[in-house]
This record gives sequence, structure tokens and C-alpha cells, in this order.
Amino acid sequence: MLSNFFHSWIHDPLIAHAGTFGLVVWLVLCILAIAVPVILTVALYVWWERKVLGWMHVRMGPNSVGPAGLAQTFADVFKLLLKEYFMPQAASKFLFVVAPLIALVPAFAAWAVVPFDDKVVLADVNAGLLYLLAMTSLGVYGIILAGWSSNSKYAMLGAMRSAAQVVSYEIAMGMALVGVLICAGSLNLSDIVRAQGGNWGIFNGFWLPLFPLFLVYFISGVAETNRAPFDVAEGESEIVAGFHVEYSGAPFAVFFLTEYANMILISFLASVLFLGGWNSIFPVSWGFLGAPGWWWLFVKAFFFAFFYLWFRAAFPRYRYDQIMRLGWKVFVPITIVWVLVAGCLVYFDIVGPGKV
Amino acid sequence: MSFELILFYLFATVLTVAALGVITVKNSVHAALLLVLTFFTAAALWLLLQAEFLAIALVLVYVGAVMVLFLFVVMMLDIKVEPLREGFVRYLPIGAIVAVVMLVEMLGLIGLKTMSAQALPADPAGASNTAWLGKALFTQFLLPFEVAAVILTVALIAAVMLTLRRRVGVKSQDPAKQVAVKASERVRIVKMESASKGGTP
Amino acid sequence: MITLSHYIVLGTILFCISVAGIFINRKNVIVLLMSIELMLLAVNTNFVAFSRFLGNVDGQVFVFFILTVAAAESAIGLAILVTLFRNRATINVGELDSMKG
Repeated sequence: MLSNFFHSWIHDPLIAHAGTFGLVVWLVLCILAIAVPVILTVALYVWWERKVLGWMHVRMGPNSVGPAGLAQTFADVFKLLLKEYFMPQAASKFLFVVAPLIALVPAFAAWAVVPFDDKVVLADVNAGLLYLLAMTSLGVYGIILAGWSSNSKYAMLGAMRSAAQVVSYEIAMGMALVGVLICAGSLNLSDIVRAQGGNWGIFNGFWLPLFPLFLVYFISGVAETNRAPFDVAEGESEIVAGFHVEYSGAPFAVFFLTEYANMILISFLASVLFLGGWNSIFPVSWGFLGAPGWWWLFVKAFFFAFFYLWFRAAFPRYRYDQIMRLGWKVFVPITIVWVLVAGCLVYFDIVGPGKV
Repeated sequence: MSFELILFYLFATVLTVAALGVITVKNSVHAALLLVLTFFTAAALWLLLQAEFLAIALVLVYVGAVMVLFLFVVMMLDIKVEPLREGFVRYLPIGAIVAVVMLVEMLGLIGLKTMSAQALPADPAGASNTAWLGKALFTQFLLPFEVAAVILTVALIAAVMLTLRRRVGVKSQDPAKQVAVKASERVRIVKMESASKGGTP
Repeated sequence: MITLSHYIVLGTILFCISVAGIFINRKNVIVLLMSIELMLLAVNTNFVAFSRFLGNVDGQVFVFFILTVAAAESAIGLAILVTLFRNRATINVGELDSMKG
């Protein structure tokens, strides 16, 4: 109903008065309506991370700037933007400047196909799931280019680690998604969410029949975003700060923004693909509680986003060879087996669109 | 000129310039990056042809995996560029001549007259390009599909076997041995006479 | 209006560029591999265009298989390249003149 409101008040007049140009303006407005909240969420997420880490370490966390330290992130952002930024003398100038932007673009482009509610999606494309996979696989370029163009040993090592890690976990992630699309029978994300609707609330989600794939997907998501405990790309104790060791000021802020935007994206995707997106976690028959809506998606995404922080506080960093072993020798075989199981479940009509 | 045609010329120009860049730039890393740009624009062109599955698969497979592999190799190998460039100027004329002659011949075969003859037909795929392609792949082309899977597996094993090596002189730890160690293997208790008996320290 | 010829001419130009690339970069194995990838891309573009304009799925199926085989080819090509560099410390085609590894 919200989308109908915007459609009739902004979209229709724009098309009527300005034709193709109006359509472009409408698309830009839509993109801004997604990008600006994402950036604000990143700021709040950083604050929440520091608070949660503080509580888990039995300290206060940020509490001085603004109420409960809420303005801390904004203060940090302004500090970073006003700082001078250095470029190493032997750096590859153009690539050094462009690398953060290349990292940033796919992190935001992927939001185009995320469905927030029924019919509230920027681009309802048929091959949405493939598009997502393609966009997440592009994220590695920013890191490789940053590492290479810095002309620094540590940055290069971080970039190499990251490239190998991201490409490896891409496979496990893709195989996990294959299970989802077998069960949903569609590559369209809205259809995938609809296939998880039903009378059992949260138990209609694909996380139940595809539980191993669900775990593999989320853990691979943590590895894809280079977060603790898989953050060897920037392991401070081994290679100083990894691929962004030469970055400072605004370009560093862009890398920071990219990392957190990716984390939020993975949280949303895990909710959309496995927990039923905008469907309520309660049975539909429970009236107000069972009504589907965007707020359910946000609650589920918050759940996963919190897990990211919990992981960071709880686990020590993996060794590099252990990460590779986990990806190739544990996750890939599990997903291959479970894709077969998912095929059997669908074939024998146990799971599928409209089932359960 | 329609909007789509403008897009086509835009992408075609970027594609051609990037491809020219791939074969002429000095640095192999830059060449690989330009090739990434080429693939990306080609995917955009395929999207104009409404081949959305293949366009996204091109980005996924080529840009996301194969080119990362290329970049990985180019960055890891310590290549001296100068000796690799020595024949560049000498072979440039012959390369250009062959390419231009080929281009002229092919264009002659195609016949530029047909330029305005055909219009884009309605999308035969109907709702979903993916379903259209999938149906063909899993019915008519099932055997080739399985063979392709076998080819990929063979390539995977071959690539691993080609690059696998046991390095000599690598120090590594064996956790099982570390855990199984006993105190008697590490500490030897020796009984000794006290050295200074009544002497000055 | 975009016609079939637009795409075929583009494919032809791309193919000729990659042929020229093989001629002028004949010392550098990596750029040779890249030129081959470009060539396959040109062919694929033609296939997709034909498939679209003839309303026949076969062209796209062909592209699918070409993508598969080309990915396998570049993986093995790069593996050979790495082994080569390890043994000879060069990737200059002119210096690769012995059969024994």
C-alpha cells in the first residue's frame, strides 16, 4: 500500500509529464530511496557493533558523543573525511583512487533485486539470484586492485589471501543457493519469498529442510565479507591491516562503508532466502501478529546482523590454511550432498512452492 | 535514433576501445583489467539481446572467476615486461594488415546492405529466458550437458595436478605429534654434584 | 532499430582485433591467452545475436557450452603457465624452445 501511494503520487505524474526523462528521474529517486537508508544503517550498525562488543567485553562502548554515543559514528566519518589522504609514491595512481569505488559499486548494486515487501523491489528481474551471485563475486576486484595498486608487500599479501578466499567461498555459497532455487522453483527473489509463505509461520522457511545449506550460506557470507573470524585479508597481527594498509581518510571510509554495507546485504539475503523474507514468523491465522510486512524482514535481518557481531566477539581468527580447508573440504561436499537431498525432497513433493 | 540504439553504440564503442586496449597496453595487469571491462560491456550487449541468463553467467563465470584467476597469476608471477614487448613494433604492421584485410573480407561477406533489413522480432523466450534455455539444455542437449560437466571435472583435476608440488625444505608442524608428546621425551633430569662446595661464590 | 547486422559487424571487429592481438603480442603468453578469450567472446556475441533474431534456442545453448569449455581451457592454460614459469622463470614464447620440462 505504501508502494501504491508513491506510485500514484510520484511515478504516474513523472511519466505523464516528462516521458522517458521522467522514468529516469523516478529510477534515480528509487535508487536514492535504497542507498541513503543503507548508508544511514551502516552508521547505526557501526555504533551498535561497538556497543555490543563493549557489553560483551564488560565495558561501556561509545557513550560520550550524542545520546548513548549515537553520534559517535558520524563524528568518526567527519574525522575521516577531513583527514589528509596519502598516496604511496610508487602506487599505480589511477587504480589506487578507483579501487575503493570499484569495491563500493557491487555492494550497492546488489540491493536492486532485494525485495523488501510484496512488489516493493527496485528491479523484479527473473534471474535475480544469479544477479546477486554475480554482484557478490565482483566485490573481490576492489580488494585485489587496492592491494596491487598500493605497491606494498602487506597490501599485496592481503589482496592475494582475500582473492583466493572469496573465490573459494563463492562456490560453497553458489551451491547453497542452488538448493534454495530447487526448492523455490524460481530464480526470482520475490517468488522465492512467496514459496516460503504458508500457515506455519517461520517453519515455512527454507532453513528447515535446507538446514545445512542455511548454515553454509551464512558462514560463507561471513567469509565473503572478510569478517572475523575469517578476516585474514586484514589480519592485523600478521600483515598489519592487509589490503587497505596504505589507505587513509576518505578512501578508507569508502572501504569501511563497503564492508558494512556488504554485511547488511548478506543479513538481508539470508533472511530473504532462508527465513521467508517479509512473511511473518507467526502463523498467518494469528491476525495482527501473522500479517506479512517489511518489518518482519528487518527483524530477521537484524538477527543475522547481530550474529556477525557475536562472531567477532566470540571467535579467534582462523589460520589461513584452515579457512581454505573449511571451504573446500567441508562446505563444498556438504552442499553437493544436500543439493541432491533437496532434489529428492522436491521430487517426492515434501518441499516446494505451495507445499507444507 | 531509439534509446536502445544509442545504448548499443555506446556499449559497442566501449567494447571496441577496451579490446584494443587489451592487445596494446604495456602492463599485463592493465590488460587483464581492460579485458574485464570488455566482458562487462559484452554482458550489457547480451542483455540488450534479452539473453539475461547468459549475460549474467558471463559476468559470474568470466568476470567473477576466470579474470580473477588471470589477475592472480599475473600479479604472482614476477614478469619482466621489456623482453616481452620487443617484437611489438615489428609485428604491428603485419598484425594490423591481416586484421584489416580479414575485417574487410568478413564485412563483404555479411553485406552491409542488410543493415536496415531486419527488425528485432518479438522475444521468443516469452516470460523467462532462463526457463527457455533450461528446457533446451535438459531435454534436447542433455548428453552434451553431462559431457560438459565431465570436461569441467577433468579440467579441475588437471589444473590441480599440474600445479601441485611438494616443496623441499618447508617447515611445518604436525599437531598430532605435538599433542602426543610426553614429558620424558622433552626433559631429561640429570643428577649432578654441586659445583661449589664451600668455595667463594 | 538494432538489427542483426549491427551485432555481426561488432563481432567481426572484435574478432579481428583479437587476431591482431595474437600477431603483435606473440612473445607474451598471458596476452595470447587473453586474445583467445576475446576471440571466443566475439563468436559468442554472434551466437547470441543469431539465437535472438532467429528465435532459436540452439545458439544460446552453444554459447553455454563454449563458456564451459573456455573456462576449463583458461584454467588449464594458466596452470600450464604457472608450471612453465616455475621451471623456466620466463613466459616469453621465444625462449620456450625445449621439449623437456
